Amino acid sequence: MRPLLRVRDLTVVFDTAEGQRKVVDGVSFAVGMGETLGILGESGSGKTISSSAVLGLIDDTPGVCGGEIVFTQGDHEISLLEGLDTCVTQRPDGLYVKDNRRWMQHVRRVMTPIWGCGMTAVFQNPRQCLDPLERIGAQVEESVGLAAPHLTAAERMQAALDWLQKVQMRDPLRVYRSYPHELSGGMCQRAMIAIALARHPALLIADEPTTGLDTTVRAEIVALFHSLIQESQASMIYISHDIREVLYLASRVIVMRSGRVLEEATSEDLLLGRGTRHPYTATLLHAADLPTGQVSETV
Amino acid sequence: MGGDHPSQECKAPSTPGSKKLRSLPLGLYLSGGIVALVFLLGLIAPLIPYDPAAAVDYQRQLAGPSWSHLLGCDGQGRDIALRIVKGTEAFFWPGILAMTIAVIGGAACGACAGYMRGWVGQAVRGLMQLLDTLPRLVFIVLLCTILDPGMYLIATTAGVLFIPTIAAICRRKVETLASEDYILAHIAHGFHPAWILGYHILWLQCRPLLIRQACTVFSYVLFVETALSYLGDYGVQEPWPSWGNMVAQTREGVGFWPWFVPAVMIVVSIAALLAFGNAIARREEAMR
Repeated sequence: MRPLLRVRDLTVVFDTAEGQRKVVDGVSFAVGMGETLGILGESGSGKTISSSAVLGLIDDTPGVCGGEIVFTQGDHEISLLEGLDTCVTQRPDGLYVKDNRRWMQHVRRVMTPIWGCGMTAVFQNPRQCLDPLERIGAQVEESVGLAAPHLTAAERMQAALDWLQKVQMRDPLRVYRSYPHELSGGMCQRAMIAIALARHPALLIADEPTTGLDTTVRAEIVALFHSLIQESQASMIYISHDIREVLYLASRVIVMRSGRVLEEATSEDLLLGRGTRHPYTATLLHAADLPTGQVSETV
Repeated sequence: MGGDHPSQECKAPSTPGSKKLRSLPLGLYLSGGIVALVFLLGLIAPLIPYDPAAAVDYQRQLAGPSWSHLLGCDGQGRDIALRIVKGTEAFFWPGILAMTIAVIGGAACGACAGYMRGWVGQAVRGLMQLLDTLPRLVFIVLLCTILDPGMYLIATTAGVLFIPTIAAICRRKVETLASEDYILAHIAHGFHPAWILGYHILWLQCRPLLIRQACTVFSYVLFVETALSYLGDYGVQEPWPSWGNMVAQTREGVGFWPWFVPAVMIVVSIAALLAFGNAIARREEAMR
């Protein structure tokens, strides 16, 4: 079967004070239809940047400089980075030069039909990701309205309340009338999940959605992702530095460090300690009291 | 954050409720009342029949306030109260026009200048800078000497001349908010840039600022109208009343009520408009 998303040799470069640095260096992965892929890695491993690159949200210079991202929407395969080579040139000394304005216009054109219904995202700071001046209900309604433009106002409100119920808000009506600052981080994240899923996306990218939440709330949010993703049959990329969350949600895991993919394995193999593990993965497994299995000698 | 704070869901200290009721906005009600009165007069004035020739009655020249003439009569025996009401016609609709032009034009230009990075944004920014260099009153008087003077020309010009001020405010907002997480999240969720810009930034974020500016523009039109009518050449001409040309009767040097009433109306209206804009904006900001 055709994968929903195929990323090959993705390279992202940022300008820093010490010159250009490759923060994502030749990353490749694929997400199948209805599959959940986990991306595991420490801070600065390039996992968030990779997902932002897939979403077309990187506007720093030079940003995405190479690779291929193919997204399947309906029967079409859309190459998201097509024409990148006309915007980027690599100088003889290795520095990348990019016409970022032209590139951003291109990204906007390619991504507009994909954002929302094709792929969407839930980020790690839910409160900042909600409009501070709009009630939660109105924000969910906006999303519902985009997914189903023909609904009347009453139907939209009912749909929004249903979504708040689906993300297990204890008192949907109160949340509906609340502003983001009146809710806890966990409730904001639930609202974000409702907003994202109300568009019925084919791929949900969850970028460390539980960071900054209490342990109990984290468990609830992870369980919520589990049930909602199974219900909607969407694909998901779940990014986290918590190996337990990733193993719980994902069927396949890639481990990233310093912008590179170190290892790719199924969750089952990781949990049961089958196969040979990269030393870094072994450290992560060991830290979580999981069997490390055989550790490869060569790095 | 430990177990001592059982309900994180409770309101944080910076919730709107605490700020909202701290000061019952007396200033808001007072200025709002005056602004409402002026707007009401502006709305009903065209409905009142007025024949400038028939209004003249030398029998009651410079009569003081009485029950039949609440604010007295002027040097030609015309009822001052009626002329005050009719005088609002001179600036009301022009003021509304200027307000609309300035707010819609300013918001649109500000959004363009802040959002578009290409030559369109460059051109808008340049145009705004150019417009901003024009001294408002001088330019209005200049246009009046070249073209056929009239309140609608003055109002349109005033509206256009206020566009750069409003555009600058909106542009700053757009630029600071563009990198906010929630704007990025809205993009990722598939909302159209025009919707994000028009609703989330201009309507939700800039509304208080726009209300304040709208009141400023309206009061400016009132000021220019009365100033030009007072000076005489380009404003409302006698025998038609305007607050400005009513004050100008002082130059004839007689009576107290004929100049006092319109002068008070001008000062109080402008002050109330500015205060009202400020109070509304501050209240909206405090509710956040």
